[in-house]
Amino acid sequence: MIEILTHIGRSGIVERGCFVQGKELLASTFTEEHKKYENIARQAFNYVFLNVAKSGAKHKEAHLEIGEKRLSAFVVGKNLLLICMSSKGESVLKVREQARNALIELRRIQAKSGS
Amino acid sequence: MTDYKVLFTGSVCSGKTTAIRSLSDIETVDTDASVSDSAIRRKQTTTIAMDYGKLELSDSARLHLYGTPGQERFKFMWQLMMSDLVYDAIGLVLLVDNTRTDPFKDIRFYVDEFRDFIVRRRLIIAVTHSDVQPEPNKHDYESVIKDMGLFTSVMFIDARDPKSVLTIIDELVGLKEKGINWDELAEKLKDNDTTESAESCDAVKEQVSLLDAAMNTRGITGAMHLGEKREVLSSNIESKQNQELLHSMVSLVSALEKKASFLGHIDNLVLCGPKEETLSVFVEEEQALGLSSQRELSISVLKQQALDLLQWSGEQRSND
Repeated sequence: MIEILTHIGRSGIVERGCFVQGKELLASTFTEEHKKYENIARQAFNYVFLNVAKSGAKHKEAHLEIGEKRLSAFVVGKNLLLICMSSKGESVLKVREQARNALIELRRIQAKSGS
Repeated sequence: MTDYKVLFTGSVCSGKTTAIRSLSDIETVDTDASVSDSAIRRKQTTTIAMDYGKLELSDSARLHLYGTPGQERFKFMWQLMMSDLVYDAIGLVLLVDNTRTDPFKDIRFYVDEFRDFIVRRRLIIAVTHSDVQPEPNKHDYESVIKDMGLFTSVMFIDARDPKSVLTIIDELVGLKEKGINWDELAEKLKDNDTTESAESCDAVKEQVSLLDAAMNTRGITGAMHLGEKREVLSSNIESKQNQELLHSMVSLVSALEKKASFLGHIDNLVLCGPKEETLSVFVEEEQALGLSSQRELSISVLKQQALDLLQWSGEQRSND
Protein backbone atom coordinates (compact mmCIF):
# COMPACT_ATOMS: atom_id res chain seq x y z
CA MET A 1 0.00 0.00 0.00
CA ILE A 2 2.82 2.36 0.80
CA GLU A 3 4.13 1.86 -2.78
CA ILE A 4 0.77 2.96 -4.15
CA LEU A 5 0.85 6.10 -2.00
CA THR A 6 4.44 6.83 -2.96
CA HIS A 7 3.54 6.35 -6.61
CA ILE A 8 0.59 8.76 -6.58
CA GLY A 9 2.71 11.18 -4.55
CA ARG A 10 5.16 11.36 -7.49
CA SER A 11 2.44 12.90 -9.64
CA GLY A 12 2.97 16.23 -7.92
CA ILE A 13 -0.82 16.45 -7.54
CA VAL A 14 -1.33 14.44 -4.36
CA GLU A 15 1.14 15.68 -1.76
CA ARG A 16 0.48 13.10 0.96
CA GLY A 17 -1.85 10.14 1.34
CA CYS A 18 -2.94 7.32 3.58
CA PHE A 19 -5.13 4.21 3.64
CA VAL A 20 -7.41 3.80 6.64
CA GLN A 21 -9.79 1.04 7.63
CA GLY A 22 -12.14 2.22 10.33
CA LYS A 23 -9.86 3.64 12.99
CA GLU A 24 -6.84 1.69 11.82
CA LEU A 25 -4.12 3.41 9.79
CA LEU A 26 -2.84 0.88 7.23
CA ALA A 27 -0.24 2.98 5.41
CA SER A 28 0.68 6.62 5.22
CA THR A 29 3.05 9.07 3.55
CA PHE A 30 2.03 11.95 5.83
CA THR A 31 5.14 13.43 7.46
CA GLU A 32 5.29 14.65 11.07
CA GLU A 33 4.74 18.16 9.79
CA HIS A 34 1.43 17.15 8.18
CA LYS A 35 0.26 14.64 10.79
CA LYS A 36 -2.38 17.12 12.01
CA TYR A 37 -4.03 17.06 8.59
CA GLU A 38 -3.99 13.27 8.62
CA ASN A 39 -5.60 13.07 12.05
CA ILE A 40 -8.32 15.57 11.19
CA ALA A 41 -8.99 13.87 7.84
CA ARG A 42 -9.29 10.42 9.41
CA GLN A 43 -11.76 11.58 12.04
CA ALA A 44 -13.77 13.75 9.68
CA PHE A 45 -14.10 11.25 6.85
CA ASN A 46 -14.86 8.34 9.19
CA TYR A 47 -17.71 10.44 10.54
CA VAL A 48 -18.89 11.41 7.03
CA PHE A 49 -18.98 7.87 5.66
CA LEU A 50 -20.47 6.48 8.85
CA ASN A 51 -23.38 8.84 8.30
CA VAL A 52 -23.54 7.95 4.60
CA ALA A 53 -23.85 4.27 5.52
CA LYS A 54 -26.38 5.03 8.25
CA SER A 55 -28.61 6.92 5.85
CA GLY A 56 -28.40 4.22 3.20
CA ALA A 57 -26.79 6.56 0.65
CA LYS A 58 -24.01 5.49 -1.71
CA HIS A 59 -21.65 8.46 -1.76
CA LYS A 60 -18.07 7.33 -2.39
CA GLU A 61 -16.05 10.52 -2.30
CA ALA A 62 -15.67 13.55 -0.05
CA HIS A 63 -13.56 16.72 -0.19
CA LEU A 64 -12.79 19.09 2.64
CA GLU A 65 -11.06 22.39 1.91
CA ILE A 66 -9.30 23.66 4.99
CA GLY A 67 -6.63 26.34 5.15
CA GLU A 68 -4.45 26.05 2.06
CA LYS A 69 -5.15 22.34 1.60
CA ARG A 70 -7.81 20.06 0.22
CA LEU A 71 -8.32 16.72 1.95
CA SER A 72 -10.07 14.16 -0.25
CA ALA A 73 -11.36 10.75 0.72
CA PHE A 74 -12.31 7.92 -1.64
CA VAL A 75 -14.05 4.70 -0.65
CA VAL A 76 -11.82 2.04 -2.21
CA GLY A 77 -13.10 -1.06 -0.47
CA LYS A 78 -15.31 -2.28 2.32
CA ASN A 79 -14.73 0.22 5.10
CA LEU A 80 -11.47 1.14 3.36
CA LEU A 81 -10.64 4.78 2.62
CA LEU A 82 -7.90 6.39 0.58
CA ILE A 83 -7.21 9.88 1.90
CA CYS A 84 -5.27 12.35 -0.24
CA MET A 85 -3.96 15.78 0.64
CA SER A 86 -3.47 18.25 -2.19
CA SER A 87 -3.17 21.98 -2.61
CA LYS A 88 -6.54 23.76 -2.58
CA GLY A 89 -5.78 25.16 -6.03
CA GLU A 90 -5.28 21.70 -7.54
CA SER A 91 -7.94 20.34 -9.88
CA VAL A 92 -10.34 17.89 -8.22
CA LEU A 93 -10.45 15.96 -11.50
CA LYS A 94 -6.69 15.35 -11.34
CA VAL A 95 -6.89 14.23 -7.71
CA ARG A 96 -9.73 11.91 -8.68
CA GLU A 97 -7.63 10.49 -11.50
CA GLN A 98 -4.82 9.73 -9.06
CA ALA A 99 -7.31 8.00 -6.74
CA ARG A 100 -8.55 5.93 -9.68
CA ASN A 101 -4.95 4.89 -10.48
CA ALA A 102 -4.47 3.94 -6.84
CA LEU A 103 -7.63 1.84 -6.87
CA ILE A 104 -6.58 -0.03 -10.02
CA GLU A 105 -3.19 -0.77 -8.44
CA LEU A 106 -4.81 -1.81 -5.16
CA ARG A 107 -7.12 -4.25 -6.95
CA ARG A 108 -4.19 -5.65 -8.90
CA ILE A 109 -2.26 -6.29 -5.67
CA GLN A 110 -5.33 -7.77 -3.97
CA ALA A 111 -5.97 -10.07 -6.94
CA LYS A 112 -2.35 -11.20 -6.86
CA SER A 113 -2.42 -11.97 -3.18
CA GLY A 114 -5.84 -13.59 -3.49
CA SER A 115 -7.39 -11.35 -0.84
CA MET B 1 -10.21 63.58 -33.72
CA THR B 2 -8.68 61.57 -30.91
CA ASP B 3 -10.53 58.43 -29.88
CA TYR B 4 -10.34 57.15 -26.34
CA LYS B 5 -11.59 53.78 -25.15
CA VAL B 6 -12.56 52.87 -21.62
CA LEU B 7 -13.53 49.41 -20.38
CA PHE B 8 -16.01 48.98 -17.54
CA THR B 9 -16.07 45.75 -15.57
CA GLY B 10 -17.40 44.48 -12.24
CA SER B 11 -19.82 41.99 -10.76
CA VAL B 12 -23.46 41.54 -11.77
CA CYS B 13 -25.47 44.62 -10.81
CA SER B 14 -22.43 46.75 -10.04
CA GLY B 15 -23.72 49.35 -12.52
CA LYS B 16 -21.73 48.79 -15.73
CA THR B 17 -24.65 49.02 -18.15
CA THR B 18 -26.17 51.92 -16.21
CA ALA B 19 -22.89 53.87 -16.16
CA ILE B 20 -22.46 53.44 -19.91
CA ARG B 21 -26.07 54.49 -20.55
CA SER B 22 -25.53 57.55 -18.36
CA LEU B 23 -22.60 58.70 -20.49
CA SER B 24 -23.55 57.69 -23.99
CA ASP B 25 -24.94 60.24 -26.40
CA ILE B 26 -26.02 57.47 -28.76
CA GLU B 27 -28.50 54.68 -28.05
CA THR B 28 -26.32 52.15 -26.26
CA VAL B 29 -25.81 48.70 -27.70
CA ASP B 30 -26.50 46.10 -25.08
CA THR B 31 -27.00 42.37 -25.14
CA ASP B 32 -29.23 41.68 -22.19
CA ALA B 33 -30.84 38.29 -21.64
CA SER B 34 -32.80 36.72 -18.82
CA VAL B 35 -30.67 35.80 -15.87
CA SER B 36 -30.25 32.04 -15.54
CA ASP B 37 -28.23 31.63 -12.38
CA SER B 38 -27.71 32.95 -8.88
CA ALA B 39 -27.56 36.52 -10.25
CA ILE B 40 -31.37 36.46 -10.36
CA ARG B 41 -31.27 37.74 -6.77
CA ARG B 42 -30.01 41.02 -8.13
CA LYS B 43 -31.68 41.51 -11.47
CA GLN B 44 -33.87 39.81 -14.02
CA THR B 45 -31.76 40.52 -17.10
CA THR B 46 -27.99 40.70 -17.47
CA THR B 47 -25.42 41.53 -20.13
CA ILE B 48 -24.26 38.41 -21.95
CA ALA B 49 -21.85 39.80 -24.55
CA MET B 50 -20.97 43.45 -23.99
CA ASP B 51 -22.27 47.00 -23.70
CA TYR B 52 -21.19 49.78 -25.99
CA GLY B 53 -21.76 53.52 -25.89
CA LYS B 54 -20.14 56.62 -27.35
CA LEU B 55 -19.67 60.20 -26.19
CA GLU B 56 -18.34 63.24 -28.06
CA LEU B 57 -16.13 64.84 -25.42
CA SER B 58 -15.24 67.86 -27.55
CA ASP B 59 -14.72 68.79 -31.19
CA SER B 60 -11.46 66.93 -31.11
CA ALA B 61 -12.01 64.04 -28.69
CA ARG B 62 -14.40 61.12 -28.64
CA LEU B 63 -14.94 58.46 -26.00
CA HIS B 64 -15.88 54.83 -26.66
CA LEU B 65 -17.36 53.01 -23.68
CA TYR B 66 -17.28 49.22 -23.41
CA GLY B 67 -18.78 47.07 -20.67
CA THR B 68 -18.01 43.43 -19.96
CA PRO B 69 -20.70 40.90 -19.03
CA GLY B 70 -20.85 40.47 -15.26
CA GLN B 71 -21.59 36.78 -14.94
CA GLU B 72 -18.42 34.75 -14.72
CA ARG B 73 -19.73 32.13 -17.13
CA PHE B 74 -19.38 34.74 -19.90
CA LYS B 75 -15.78 35.29 -18.89
CA PHE B 76 -14.50 34.19 -22.29
CA MET B 77 -15.84 37.55 -23.52
CA TRP B 78 -13.50 39.36 -21.13
CA GLN B 79 -10.47 37.78 -22.83
CA LEU B 80 -11.88 38.47 -26.29
CA MET B 81 -12.46 42.11 -25.45
CA MET B 82 -9.05 42.60 -23.82
CA SER B 83 -7.14 41.03 -26.69
CA ASP B 84 -9.06 42.69 -29.49
CA LEU B 85 -11.73 45.38 -29.08
CA VAL B 86 -10.23 47.27 -26.17
CA TYR B 87 -6.54 46.33 -26.32
CA ASP B 88 -5.86 50.05 -26.92
CA ALA B 89 -8.09 51.30 -24.09
CA ILE B 90 -6.66 53.97 -21.82
CA GLY B 91 -8.12 52.58 -18.66
CA LEU B 92 -10.18 50.02 -16.82
CA VAL B 93 -13.00 51.10 -14.54
CA LEU B 94 -13.74 48.44 -11.94
CA LEU B 95 -17.21 49.02 -10.55
CA VAL B 96 -17.60 47.62 -7.05
CA ASP B 97 -21.05 47.16 -5.53
CA ASN B 98 -20.83 48.28 -1.90
CA THR B 99 -23.80 46.09 -0.93
CA ARG B 100 -21.86 42.88 -1.61
CA THR B 101 -21.11 40.84 1.50
CA ASP B 102 -17.38 41.26 0.85
CA PRO B 103 -16.70 43.90 -1.83
CA PHE B 104 -12.94 43.54 -1.32
CA LYS B 105 -13.20 39.95 -2.48
CA ASP B 106 -14.54 41.31 -5.78
CA ILE B 107 -11.61 43.69 -6.10
CA ARG B 108 -9.12 40.88 -5.56
CA PHE B 109 -10.97 38.70 -8.05
CA TYR B 110 -11.18 41.29 -10.85
CA VAL B 111 -7.64 42.59 -10.32
CA ASP B 112 -6.45 38.99 -10.70
CA GLU B 113 -8.52 38.45 -13.84
CA PHE B 114 -7.43 41.73 -15.45
CA ARG B 115 -3.87 41.82 -14.07
CA ASP B 116 -2.13 41.78 -17.46
CA PHE B 117 -4.54 44.36 -18.84
CA ILE B 118 -3.99 46.91 -16.08
CA VAL B 119 -0.20 46.69 -16.10
CA ARG B 120 0.01 49.42 -18.73
CA ARG B 121 -3.33 51.14 -18.19
CA ARG B 122 -4.99 53.24 -15.54
CA LEU B 123 -7.26 51.43 -13.12
CA ILE B 124 -10.07 53.29 -11.40
CA ILE B 125 -12.09 51.64 -8.66
CA ALA B 126 -15.57 53.12 -8.74
CA VAL B 127 -17.75 52.17 -5.78
CA THR B 128 -21.52 52.07 -6.40
CA HIS B 129 -24.65 51.63 -4.25
CA SER B 130 -23.03 53.46 -1.33
CA ASP B 131 -26.38 55.25 -0.90
CA VAL B 132 -27.82 51.85 0.12
CA GLN B 133 -24.76 50.62 2.03
CA PRO B 134 -22.30 53.37 3.08
CA GLU B 135 -19.76 51.00 4.62
CA PRO B 136 -17.02 50.15 3.80
CA ASN B 137 -16.04 53.79 3.29
CA LYS B 138 -13.40 55.40 1.10
CA HIS B 139 -10.75 55.11 3.78
CA ASP B 140 -11.41 51.34 4.11
CA TYR B 141 -11.02 50.90 0.36
CA GLU B 142 -7.82 52.93 0.21
CA SER B 143 -6.34 50.92 3.03
CA VAL B 144 -7.14 47.57 1.36
CA ILE B 145 -5.87 48.80 -2.00
CA LYS B 146 -2.63 49.98 -0.41
CA ASP B 147 -2.20 46.53 1.16
CA MET B 148 -2.71 44.98 -2.27
CA GLY B 149 0.06 47.18 -3.67
CA LEU B 150 -2.22 48.80 -6.24
CA PHE B 151 -1.74 52.31 -7.59
CA THR B 152 -5.25 53.44 -8.31
CA SER B 153 -7.91 56.01 -7.49
CA VAL B 154 -11.02 55.12 -5.52
CA MET B 155 -14.16 57.08 -6.39
CA PHE B 156 -17.64 56.75 -4.93
CA ILE B 157 -20.13 57.30 -7.74
CA ASP B 158 -23.79 56.95 -8.64
CA ALA B 159 -23.90 55.06 -11.96
CA ARG B 160 -27.36 56.52 -12.69
CA ASP B 161 -26.11 60.10 -12.56
CA PRO B 162 -24.16 61.23 -15.67
CA LYS B 163 -22.42 64.02 -13.76
CA SER B 164 -21.14 61.52 -11.21
CA VAL B 165 -19.88 59.05 -13.85
CA LEU B 166 -18.21 61.89 -15.76
CA THR B 167 -15.83 62.41 -12.84
CA ILE B 168 -14.26 59.04 -13.73
CA ILE B 169 -13.74 60.12 -17.33
CA ASP B 170 -12.27 63.42 -16.16
CA GLU B 171 -9.82 61.44 -14.05
CA LEU B 172 -8.86 59.30 -17.06
CA VAL B 173 -8.65 61.81 -19.92
CA GLY B 174 -8.77 65.21 -18.19
CA LEU B 175 -5.01 65.66 -18.18
CA LYS B 176 -4.66 64.71 -21.84
CA GLU B 177 -7.63 66.71 -23.13
CA LYS B 178 -7.58 70.17 -21.62
CA GLY B 179 -10.28 71.57 -23.90
CA ILE B 180 -13.22 69.61 -22.52
CA ASN B 181 -15.99 71.61 -20.89
CA TRP B 182 -17.16 69.15 -18.24
CA ASP B 183 -20.11 71.28 -17.07
CA GLU B 184 -21.40 71.54 -20.62
CA LEU B 185 -21.05 67.78 -21.06
CA ALA B 186 -22.98 67.14 -17.85
CA GLU B 187 -25.73 69.45 -19.08
CA LYS B 188 -25.85 67.65 -22.45
CA LEU B 189 -26.23 64.29 -20.69
CA LYS B 190 -28.80 65.31 -18.08
CA ASP B 191 -31.60 63.45 -19.92
CA ASN B 192 -29.68 60.23 -19.32
CA ASP B 193 -30.07 60.68 -15.58
CA THR B 194 -32.07 57.75 -14.17
CA THR B 195 -31.57 58.45 -10.48
CA GLU B 196 -35.30 58.58 -9.90
CA SER B 197 -36.58 56.06 -12.41
CA ALA B 198 -34.08 53.22 -12.72
CA GLU B 199 -35.18 49.80 -11.58
CA SER B 200 -33.26 49.13 -8.44
CA CYS B 201 -31.32 45.93 -8.05
CA ASP B 202 -32.34 45.95 -4.42
CA ALA B 203 -36.01 46.03 -5.35
CA VAL B 204 -35.51 42.84 -7.31
CA LYS B 205 -33.43 41.35 -4.53
CA GLU B 206 -36.23 41.78 -2.05
CA GLN B 207 -38.49 39.66 -4.23
CA VAL B 208 -36.02 36.79 -4.61
CA SER B 209 -34.82 34.87 -1.58
CA LEU B 210 -31.51 33.05 -1.37
CA LEU B 211 -33.32 29.73 -1.75
CA ASP B 212 -35.17 30.95 -4.85
CA ALA B 213 -31.89 32.16 -6.31
CA ALA B 214 -30.27 28.81 -5.56
CA MET B 215 -33.14 26.98 -7.24
CA ASN B 216 -32.69 29.17 -10.30
CA THR B 217 -29.07 28.14 -10.51
CA ARG B 218 -28.18 25.52 -13.09
CA GLY B 219 -27.75 22.08 -11.55
CA ILE B 220 -28.80 22.98 -8.01
CA THR B 221 -31.75 21.00 -6.68
CA GLY B 222 -32.06 22.24 -3.12
CA ALA B 223 -30.56 24.65 -0.61
CA MET B 224 -30.21 25.19 3.12
CA HIS B 225 -29.22 28.59 4.50
CA LEU B 226 -27.37 28.54 7.83
CA GLY B 227 -26.59 31.30 10.26
CA GLU B 228 -23.55 32.28 12.28
CA LYS B 229 -24.07 29.48 14.80
CA ARG B 230 -24.78 27.09 11.92
CA GLU B 231 -28.46 27.03 12.77
CA VAL B 232 -30.85 26.46 9.84
CA LEU B 233 -32.42 29.75 8.75
CA SER B 234 -34.32 28.29 5.83
CA SER B 235 -34.28 25.15 3.74
CA ASN B 236 -36.05 23.61 0.78
CA ILE B 237 -34.17 20.29 0.72
CA GLU B 238 -36.95 17.77 0.13
CA SER B 239 -35.25 14.39 0.39
CA LYS B 240 -35.09 13.19 3.99
CA GLN B 241 -31.84 11.37 3.27
CA ASN B 242 -30.21 14.51 1.89
CA GLN B 243 -31.54 16.53 4.82
CA GLU B 244 -29.98 14.12 7.31
CA LEU B 245 -26.66 13.99 5.49
CA LEU B 246 -26.47 17.77 5.15
CA HIS B 247 -27.22 18.17 8.85
CA SER B 248 -24.43 15.74 9.69
CA MET B 249 -22.06 17.63 7.37
CA VAL B 250 -22.99 20.92 9.04
CA SER B 251 -22.36 19.37 12.48
CA LEU B 252 -18.98 18.18 11.31
CA VAL B 253 -18.07 21.59 9.91
CA SER B 254 -19.10 23.22 13.22
CA ALA B 255 -16.96 20.78 15.19
CA LEU B 256 -13.99 21.30 12.89
CA GLU B 257 -14.33 25.04 13.17
CA LYS B 258 -13.85 24.65 16.91
CA LYS B 259 -11.28 21.86 17.00
CA ALA B 260 -9.25 22.28 13.82
CA SER B 261 -9.05 26.03 13.47
CA PHE B 262 -5.24 25.77 13.79
CA LEU B 263 -5.24 24.34 10.24
CA GLY B 264 -6.98 27.40 8.82
CA HIS B 265 -10.44 28.39 7.71
CA ILE B 266 -12.84 25.69 6.49
CA ASP B 267 -14.13 26.67 3.07
CA ASN B 268 -16.30 23.74 2.11
CA LEU B 269 -17.14 20.10 2.48
CA VAL B 270 -18.41 18.23 -0.58
CA LEU B 271 -19.82 14.71 -0.78
CA CYS B 272 -20.13 12.96 -4.16
CA GLY B 273 -21.32 9.61 -5.45
CA PRO B 274 -21.55 7.87 -8.81
CA LYS B 275 -25.34 7.87 -8.80
CA GLU B 276 -26.13 10.26 -5.95
CA GLU B 277 -26.80 13.94 -5.85
CA THR B 278 -23.78 15.93 -4.73
CA LEU B 279 -24.14 17.42 -1.25
CA SER B 280 -22.05 20.35 -0.16
CA VAL B 281 -21.62 22.88 2.62
CA PHE B 282 -19.93 26.24 1.95
CA VAL B 283 -18.79 28.12 4.99
CA GLU B 284 -18.30 31.80 5.76
CA GLU B 285 -17.82 33.34 9.17
CA GLU B 286 -21.34 34.70 9.53
CA GLN B 287 -23.28 32.22 7.42
CA ALA B 288 -23.11 28.94 5.54
CA LEU B 289 -24.91 27.37 2.63
CA GLY B 290 -25.84 23.72 2.18
CA LEU B 291 -26.65 22.58 -1.34
CA SER B 292 -27.84 19.49 -3.11
CA SER B 293 -26.94 19.43 -6.79
CA GLN B 294 -26.92 17.19 -9.84
CA ARG B 295 -23.85 14.97 -9.86
CA GLU B 296 -22.95 16.20 -13.38
CA LEU B 297 -22.28 19.70 -12.05
CA SER B 298 -18.52 20.07 -11.60
CA ILE B 299 -17.23 20.99 -8.14
CA SER B 300 -15.52 24.12 -9.49
CA VAL B 301 -18.76 25.44 -11.02
CA LEU B 302 -20.64 24.52 -7.85
CA LYS B 303 -18.11 26.45 -5.75
CA GLN B 304 -18.37 29.50 -7.97
CA GLN B 305 -22.17 29.51 -7.80
CA ALA B 306 -22.21 28.99 -4.03
CA LEU B 307 -19.77 31.84 -3.43
CA ASP B 308 -21.85 34.14 -5.58
CA LEU B 309 -25.02 33.21 -3.69
CA LEU B 310 -23.27 33.91 -0.39
CA GLN B 311 -21.93 37.25 -1.66
CA TRP B 312 -25.49 38.55 -1.98
CA SER B 313 -26.99 37.07 1.12
CA GLY B 314 -25.41 39.07 3.93
CA GLU B 315 -28.19 41.54 4.53
CA GLN B 316 -30.99 39.11 3.68
CA ARG B 317 -30.46 36.68 6.54
CA SER B 318 -33.03 38.12 8.86
CA ASN B 319 -35.65 38.03 6.10
CA ASP B 320 -35.18 34.37 5.21
